[in-house]
Amino acid sequence: MVAGILILGLILLVMPVIAGSLFCHVDQDAPRLLLAWVGGQMLLWAGFLAVCVPMVLRKGRLSEVIGLYLALCGLLLAAAAGKYVVQRRRKTSENARVQRKGLSYKQSAPVWCLFAVLLLIQLAAAGMLAYEEGDDAFYVAVATGTESSDTLYDILPYTGATTGTDARHGLAPFPVWTAFLARLSGIHPATVNQIVLPVVLIAMAYAILGLLGCRLFEKDPKKTGLFLVIAEVLILFGGQSLYTAENFLLVRTAQGKAVLANMVLPFLLYLCFVMTDACRRGERPSVSLWLLMASAAAAGCLCSTQGALLTSIMIGGIGLLTAASFRRLRILLPTGICCLLPMGMAVLYLLL
Amino acid sequence: MWTEVFTVFQKYMGTGLIMIWFAAALVFLFLTEKNRTRRILLVYYPVVMLLLYFNPLFADAFCRLVGSEIYFRVCWLLPVSVVLAYSTVLLAEHFKGKMKGLFLAAVLTVIILSGRPVYSNPLYSVAQNEYHVPDSVVHICDAIRYEGREVKAAFPYEMLLYVRQYSPFVCMPYGRDMMLGDFNDLFSLIQRDRIDVKELAELMNQQGCHYAVFAEKKEILGEPQDFDLKLFDTIDGYVIYQNLNLPLEY
Repeated sequence: MVAGILILGLILLVMPVIAGSLFCHVDQDAPRLLLAWVGGQMLLWAGFLAVCVPMVLRKGRLSEVIGLYLALCGLLLAAAAGKYVVQRRRKTSENARVQRKGLSYKQSAPVWCLFAVLLLIQLAAAGMLAYEEGDDAFYVAVATGTESSDTLYDILPYTGATTGTDARHGLAPFPVWTAFLARLSGIHPATVNQIVLPVVLIAMAYAILGLLGCRLFEKDPKKTGLFLVIAEVLILFGGQSLYTAENFLLVRTAQGKAVLANMVLPFLLYLCFVMTDACRRGERPSVSLWLLMASAAAAGCLCSTQGALLTSIMIGGIGLLTAASFRRLRILLPTGICCLLPMGMAVLYLLL
Repeated sequence: MWTEVFTVFQKYMGTGLIMIWFAAALVFLFLTEKNRTRRILLVYYPVVMLLLYFNPLFADAFCRLVGSEIYFRVCWLLPVSVVLAYSTVLLAEHFKGKMKGLFLAAVLTVIILSGRPVYSNPLYSVAQNEYHVPDSVVHICDAIRYEGREVKAAFPYEMLLYVRQYSPFVCMPYGRDMMLGDFNDLFSLIQRDRIDVKELAELMNQQGCHYAVFAEKKEILGEPQDFDLKLFDTIDGYVIYQNLNLPLEY
């Protein structure tokens, strides 16, 4: 169990941070670690989609997906390490070490303490409370069945009967990703889905809100902390409807649709913020930003088949508004390119 | 279609109060926010998304392609928490000292009263184990597991959601579909207060079930051994009958 947790820590925390370091510079003002963690996870999810969907369609096996995905992860980590070495050399030669301004928590300690207490309550509840969630009978059972049978969407999750490939669900193979985590860690897929992932994903949702807060309040720690506390209360008391994103975050945390609503879409909103801000300042958004945006859109497709539509609407909508507001029609081309993969997935969904 | 779109939105709003504060926050930001980036992302974009949601052409296309029961997911494009939290912090800046604290306390109280605690949902319970499934499911699935092959077992209503989450080695003749209104005569029999073993044995044979699980308190009509059924075990208040007509050995 301890070894399994360490492996999951490596896959869910260390690997994304290293992979995400490729994109840290898209927002110079953001807390690097948070941006690297979230951005890296989006990149890794996009990679998993790229590996898994073709495998589902050609009736491959989980072990094949894992082999290819780990190879891809290796490439990304090597690229990140290469970038690190090059940057280090450049910094040494230029001798221009710029001191980044970090968040100062001293004056705003009470607010951040309150935020930490509320976050701990949610993380503890995720581990200790069970929710009678009907859709888990599908998604968790897909993960459990996939992990044990080594097949992809060939087993009916409700009954265990063998069937033809369920390609439509296979286009958003988030449960296969959870099966991958279970296989590598040796922890039961139900435990991965019901305890490990909720703890990590809830923390990630707040990391994204933190990125947005830093952006909105220009790294004012007190205002950012207050923003996060209010968001926490809105989430904790978001049970007025079963349909809100807030409710999905706490109740169905490890289901792909909850990840779409609470991680992918808010992170895309954050990236759009960086893009629009660059346009406002008359700058050109970096290629890395577009790559990260395209990765996040692909991550949305991994989470849910509706992810294709919702990510495209968000990127397209904000792209159009930005282009119109700042008369920067040129940004429509990269925003359109970011929507290509989701649109392709949507077409594939309709064809299957 | 129009009614459906409104009904879905009503369900999404719940009490509706949070959406009222959201609308008020949009107006506040429209009137006070000077930064164009924030205006685009936190005012214009949400308004465009609301217009899109209520656009009959879009709603019609979405519902045809994906289904009306999940149209509420379009509402996830609205950054409700971000807009509300951001405007609250901005408003708080207009107050100083104690008044600021009072204002924030008042806002948090309003949010608490307008929403509903997620953890107050009656479907929450303290987890019995690390799998978040009832202990009885774990014990029964472990007891009937047979090394080297899968087994098929009929379970009662309260266990349907959990069996396949926990064990990939236990198959079922029916699944969650029963909770969504589908019919299976074996499931229907197991749900009765009195269980006729002759009928049970026939249905287990028909559906290829090695085991049937139901509450211990149910009345059994007939002698199980007369129909090749054996009481396999009694676990956590449930009896498990094994069908001897379907041997587990290959």
